[in-house]
Amino acid sequence: MIAFNRFKLENGLTVLHHFDSTTPMAVINTLYDVGARDESEEKTGFAHLFEHLMFGGSVNIPDFDSPLQRAGGESNAFTSNDITNYYNVLPIQNIETALWLESDRMLSLAFTPKSLEVQRNVVIEEFKQRYLNQPYGDVWLELRPLAYHKHPYKWATIGKNIQHIEEATMDDVKAFFKAHYHPANAILCIAGNISLEETKRLVDKWYGDIPASLKPERMLPKEPVQTEYRELTIERKVPNDAFYYSFKMPERKSFEYYVTDIISDALGREKSSRLYSKLKKDLKLVTSINAYITGSLDEGLLIIDGKLSNDVTFEELDKAIWPLLEDIKKELMSEAETSKLLNKIRTVKEFQEQGLLNRAMNLSLYELLGDANGVNEENNLYQSITAEQIKTVANQLFKKENTSLLRVKSIKE
Amino acid sequence: MSVRTKQPETKQVDHISFVKPHIFDVTQDVKLLWVKEVPNETVRLDLFFDAGITRGNKSLPAIVHSLLLSGTKELSSVEIHEQIDSLGGFLDTDISFETAVVSIYCLREHVRQISNIVANAIQNLAFRENEVEDVLRSMRQQFAVNQQKVKYVAQQQFRKHLFASNADYATISEESDYDEASVLAYKKYWKQHYLEGLTRITLVGDLEVDEVDALIDLFGKWAVDGKVQHAGGFKFQAQRINFPKEDTVQCALRMGRFLFPKSHPDYIDFQVLNTILGDYFGSRLMSNIREDKGYTYGIGSGMMDMNQTGYFVIVTEVGKEVLDLTLHEIKFELERLQNELVSDDELDLVKNYMLGQLLKSADGPYAMLDMYNSVDMYDLTLAFYDEAIQKIKRISPARIQELAKQYLNFEDFLIITAG
Repeated sequence: MIAFNRFKLENGLTVLHHFDSTTPMAVINTLYDVGARDESEEKTGFAHLFEHLMFGGSVNIPDFDSPLQRAGGESNAFTSNDITNYYNVLPIQNIETALWLESDRMLSLAFTPKSLEVQRNVVIEEFKQRYLNQPYGDVWLELRPLAYHKHPYKWATIGKNIQHIEEATMDDVKAFFKAHYHPANAILCIAGNISLEETKRLVDKWYGDIPASLKPERMLPKEPVQTEYRELTIERKVPNDAFYYSFKMPERKSFEYYVTDIISDALGREKSSRLYSKLKKDLKLVTSINAYITGSLDEGLLIIDGKLSNDVTFEELDKAIWPLLEDIKKELMSEAETSKLLNKIRTVKEFQEQGLLNRAMNLSLYELLGDANGVNEENNLYQSITAEQIKTVANQLFKKENTSLLRVKSIKE
Repeated sequence: MSVRTKQPETKQVDHISFVKPHIFDVTQDVKLLWVKEVPNETVRLDLFFDAGITRGNKSLPAIVHSLLLSGTKELSSVEIHEQIDSLGGFLDTDISFETAVVSIYCLREHVRQISNIVANAIQNLAFRENEVEDVLRSMRQQFAVNQQKVKYVAQQQFRKHLFASNADYATISEESDYDEASVLAYKKYWKQHYLEGLTRITLVGDLEVDEVDALIDLFGKWAVDGKVQHAGGFKFQAQRINFPKEDTVQCALRMGRFLFPKSHPDYIDFQVLNTILGDYFGSRLMSNIREDKGYTYGIGSGMMDMNQTGYFVIVTEVGKEVLDLTLHEIKFELERLQNELVSDDELDLVKNYMLGQLLKSADGPYAMLDMYNSVDMYDLTLAFYDEAIQKIKRISPARIQELAKQYLNFEDFLIITAG
């Protein structure tokens, strides 16, 4: 159980407070309700580039990191297709430095040309390091547009291609800030050995005078229901053939989201899972295989990926994999298997609550979904899942016309 | 309206409470370290073995490590994992230079059962033919993927050349390691390094003492006989070697030199120098090469601890066209530390940062155990950290410069690039 308080400032900022007297550290987590899905198709990769610029100085403070380090703290951030999340961890006695820094960059950035120039280069190197210079590194750049035709999930967080980042202008940067970086579009979580009263006093002091803006209305193109089987084969200089089966799955807020998560665990999370034991261990068709969900807020994907053994063809795998998906559609899952999967979830939840930063991030994410207390209800939701529900959802997922298959064919140097 | 142009007052961390774990003697040379004060149901149990990658030729240590849970006469690997999964347990295995670790993560109600399953699996490892074949197949495949990563190639070649004087430490994996199973060699290695190779047990979890005793009974039979010996006195040649790789857009760089073990009097002071140079986001390497030039997504430096020695390393991946410029800037930063005193302002910032990070490293039962373990493994005590706090607070710009002159001569480095 993660206890918390919630209050709202007049300018629209939502604040969560989580008290923990056992730690000498404090966490200040800021979630902005903006991700790659909010970019325009001509300017992709922008939410992520912007995350980098947030460290390049704000209106009153030339450099974000130094003062925080001087206070004994550390900061980082991540951008997904859905959100941008910034966090600071520092000794509790210096918490005010983090609030000073975070509130100033919510107020306004410095927008220096040098910062844009350098971070553009840094992001281009990140693009190369993660996507271009790794075997199989570019599969998500190919898989997303195969699975999504309309919804902005069709591009990756890093962007569609390097040109979009190269062409970003200062006007774009300013417009992006104005639209998405203001109190009404943020959730601030303060965690540590600090009272609610002191939290209110400090938040009011540093955030109270930030002007309000209207929360942007999100009008994303809806992805039409997929009605046809899709496949794409790309050739790459990689050691082995690889496959990525993806299936559209329900959105984050639905109960079926949790059921789908359990289904992916049953198929390929662990070394006792169905696909692993059958396709790797018994039939030796693959050298690795995993199943997982993308965790997206809108309609996401369940992915089964892996690599073929030498001399095994994509067709052989395809013939072997579908009967296993049919099994989960036809047969009710045994009591032993569901209890195995739910026991694992319980352990994971218990470990997740271990860290202060984890707790602060999870509270913020659930608040975005509608109620921070969702974090405390999640385990019960999972534990309530029945074999019938698993069968029903599996039938919605594993249909040919709900499938997009990407094959990476290995070619020699 | 708050004054936004001035940083609020900060206070340096001046006290950190370090908690010593409960210590049980498994044998004269093997201990169990236990932190009991955990506010929830979670348990982590780590078994440390004298089975690091330097304990055998080429891939032998890694192969046997991967085979540990691959099945007994009675149970296949899937059945073993099925049992552990059913109890909600997670296994994690890790192999580093001088040690191999098997970790169990679970809720406390299941720790005994899961430990029994793991103990049985390792004790009665049967090297089933099909399981061995499956592991070799997967490892060969992973090897092929790794060969395409410039970062991996640089790391392997760095190891090979830094430890050139010691065959066991310089050995690296080859594709042919996975061609044919050498079950006899695997068995010999397993008996020597696992069944008689347990070097320590660490435990975090709110258990009863008799449960801890039961774990000692269960795993204690694998305890090593006597104190484990590790190599030292390595020699290498300072040189620059490039391993070309076509079709890559970035180059991996790894450069380093030997320093000293954790017990050396310069260790903590050098840690401050290392932080200034490359071990935090605002470091000189990051400020110059990423934040000013934009040559890389990341660059860093670090000190690697070993039993008899330690080494210092700088790591990055940069655009191919800026590799030489990057090396030039690294040289510039090393020389700047040798020729100019660090400003009080910068040094103060680094001191505060390091103390804050030390505070964080001691936060919570899991962190505390890791912290204790990382000194106890090298026969040091918690006094190491009290001394560290004092040394960090006291160090002067002149001392930083002195260390830079002694240890950071560009010409003394082994430089490996791949790409």
